[in-house]
Amino acid sequence: MISKIMAAGLSRRTFLKSTAITAVGAALPGAALAAGEPIKIGFLAPLTGAVAAWGKPGLDGCQIWAERVNAAGGIELSDGKHPVEFVSYDNEYDPAKARTGATKLIREDGVSFIMMLGGDTWPGVQPVADKTGMLFSTLLPSDLSPDSTTLIAPTEVHPIYLVTGVDYLADTYPDAKTAVICAQDDALGLPSVATYLAAFEARGIEVLEEPLLFDPATTDFAPIVTRMMSSNPDIICLDTCYSDYVHPISEQLFQQGYEGKLISATADFYDQMIAKTSKEFMEGFIFQFPDFDDPALAGDNINFEDAKGFYDAYAERHPGEWGAVSWEYASIMDLWKAAAEKAGSADPDAVITAMKEGGTGKHAFGDAKWWGTELFGIDNALVGDWPVVVIEDGKAVIKGFKSIPDWYDQHGDLLIKHMQAYNQMYDQRG
Amino acid sequence: MLKFLIWPLAAVALLALPHGLSFSQQEILVFLTINILLVTSYRLLTLTGEWSLAHVVIMGVGAYASALFTKELGIYVPVSMLLGGLVSALIAVILSFPLFRMKGFYFLIGSFAAGEIIRLLWKHFRDPFGGAKGIKGIDPMPDFSIGIYNFDFFEPVSYFYFAGLVVAVCMWILWRIERSPVGLTFHAVHWQDKLAEASGVNLRAYRTLAFAVASGFAGISGALLAHYIGTINPGSFDLDYMVFVLTWAIVGGTGTFYGPILGCVALTILNEVVLREMGFEQARPLIYGCILIASILFMPNGLESIVQKFTKRRAKQ
Repeated sequence: MISKIMAAGLSRRTFLKSTAITAVGAALPGAALAAGEPIKIGFLAPLTGAVAAWGKPGLDGCQIWAERVNAAGGIELSDGKHPVEFVSYDNEYDPAKARTGATKLIREDGVSFIMMLGGDTWPGVQPVADKTGMLFSTLLPSDLSPDSTTLIAPTEVHPIYLVTGVDYLADTYPDAKTAVICAQDDALGLPSVATYLAAFEARGIEVLEEPLLFDPATTDFAPIVTRMMSSNPDIICLDTCYSDYVHPISEQLFQQGYEGKLISATADFYDQMIAKTSKEFMEGFIFQFPDFDDPALAGDNINFEDAKGFYDAYAERHPGEWGAVSWEYASIMDLWKAAAEKAGSADPDAVITAMKEGGTGKHAFGDAKWWGTELFGIDNALVGDWPVVVIEDGKAVIKGFKSIPDWYDQHGDLLIKHMQAYNQMYDQRG
Repeated sequence: MLKFLIWPLAAVALLALPHGLSFSQQEILVFLTINILLVTSYRLLTLTGEWSLAHVVIMGVGAYASALFTKELGIYVPVSMLLGGLVSALIAVILSFPLFRMKGFYFLIGSFAAGEIIRLLWKHFRDPFGGAKGIKGIDPMPDFSIGIYNFDFFEPVSYFYFAGLVVAVCMWILWRIERSPVGLTFHAVHWQDKLAEASGVNLRAYRTLAFAVASGFAGISGALLAHYIGTINPGSFDLDYMVFVLTWAIVGGTGTFYGPILGCVALTILNEVVLREMGFEQARPLIYGCILIASILFMPNGLESIVQKFTKRRAKQ
């Protein structure tokens, strides 16, 4: 019997239908939901361990998002309204556990969509995605490749938005002409290094030495900071270091008397950084992730509903835990909800078709376009404007929005050059 | 009679086991099977009295070697798995020259340093190791049919049968080694090293042999892992994983062959199934740590001591 089922070929449908768990009630992805039955969304990200800061705050944000949507009646499909429910699995940023989690979410929990952080964990999940046709999202477009058409990067276009921070820095501080970069040597750090190198080169800022790549297991940052400061740079770039690294590196820079400019992809929990250093030291720290109570997010260009209300609810429930990803997964859900309602279905194929219709989409920071063939081999990244954020008087402030596609139109060749040098182009990975 | 029946019954139980589990539990079962080989091979090394912190990295050597043999040279996956084990054993022999100039705590620290050097080499040399991102798209075990059953190695049940067979054969070899005169000499090297040396036993040669054999089987476990998940990176074989291996061995006990297996099975089920199912997903590290402390405090001889107590009582009756 088993032999016969297998011999018939394993399509996505037979694969799912032949499973015992589906037989006892778990829904197929995209199969019709009973009236009022909750739509389940998978959350497959690190909730414990060193990378948890880019998983858990996102899940907390999703819970608030779900409450708001459910209070408004839920998601309206062709057969009526459905509440939404998140099912999480802690992948510990491990590809094997991510595979187990994806299997559980799809084959046991019957989710309609899975959100991931991506990075090192995506290759473990990719065979599951290919086999089942499930729609996945990643925060890291560097996971995208033409091999996986059901993986999208609809909110965070890491690391390409980093160019906007460098542009702001170069415009605001034209005398800052030299920089050094440090990053953890991993899937997040390397494409980010390549992007910063391109952005600095585009603005004529000299990078004084090869980017300093440290092991992710590093705990003592004093020697790294000493080495970076030895060349007396005007700018120190912390790349896309995890917050577990940004904090001690900033602390070391403060202790070793650094007085130049600081730029980083993130400054999660920056109030703690200020407490460890000083308000004066952190003044002018440039990064890319705003607090959502910022007045600039109340503008008509913003596609995140009631950003301040969301931030206030988050801050009340999880004081001091607002970070880069607190809003991002919720923002992905905004896009998914709009696409599912447009398609009238939670089926992965229908949702992705509706989402990409017309080649544009409503990104949290403004209207954007589906983009990426040159860099990722597929137009599955939603790219538009991105904010530049600066710490002023102890508070993150949006200094403006800059267009990533505009930068790429001018300097795309530089980005490709540096991405190739670090083997980060889609056809070089793996 | 029962003695003759026990192995066929165990085999039937293992064949049926995955069908009683959920899909995610089947996935966990595959990784558990691989980890059983890892921790059992680790015990062979501990027989000589040495505890290494490089065992998981050596496992990674087998994973990387096997992945590269298939990707770069197109070698058939099962053959590349064996070659992966051989490469691990060979690396262990090379490492033994500096490492076995040390003993005890110094060996432990030396092995940690050796493991970190290997991990840094994987990161530094993007060609062929893929750098920090590692290798992805590793060839899976090719599917095949035996008439009554089609092995589709994407499916955890099929891979469990394959890995289970490999692990069973490896464990039988490890068991035979331990029960052989060589295994007895390993014990002597640990407990009566001066006496053994006076009897003409070359302590260093036997320590090297144990290190190489244990590493070879760890390499096979790494290869089994690599060809299942299809991706490996230096972070897959880090110190955190090594700490898990140590805790499996310590909580299970290393006095018997089955002690570390008990530890591995009990703690994996606890961490990956029970605590997750109970909704303690984010509190798992805390609860897991508390249970470890409690087990060390109240069960200093490991889980194997419970089994021994039970079997002794039965023997008396």
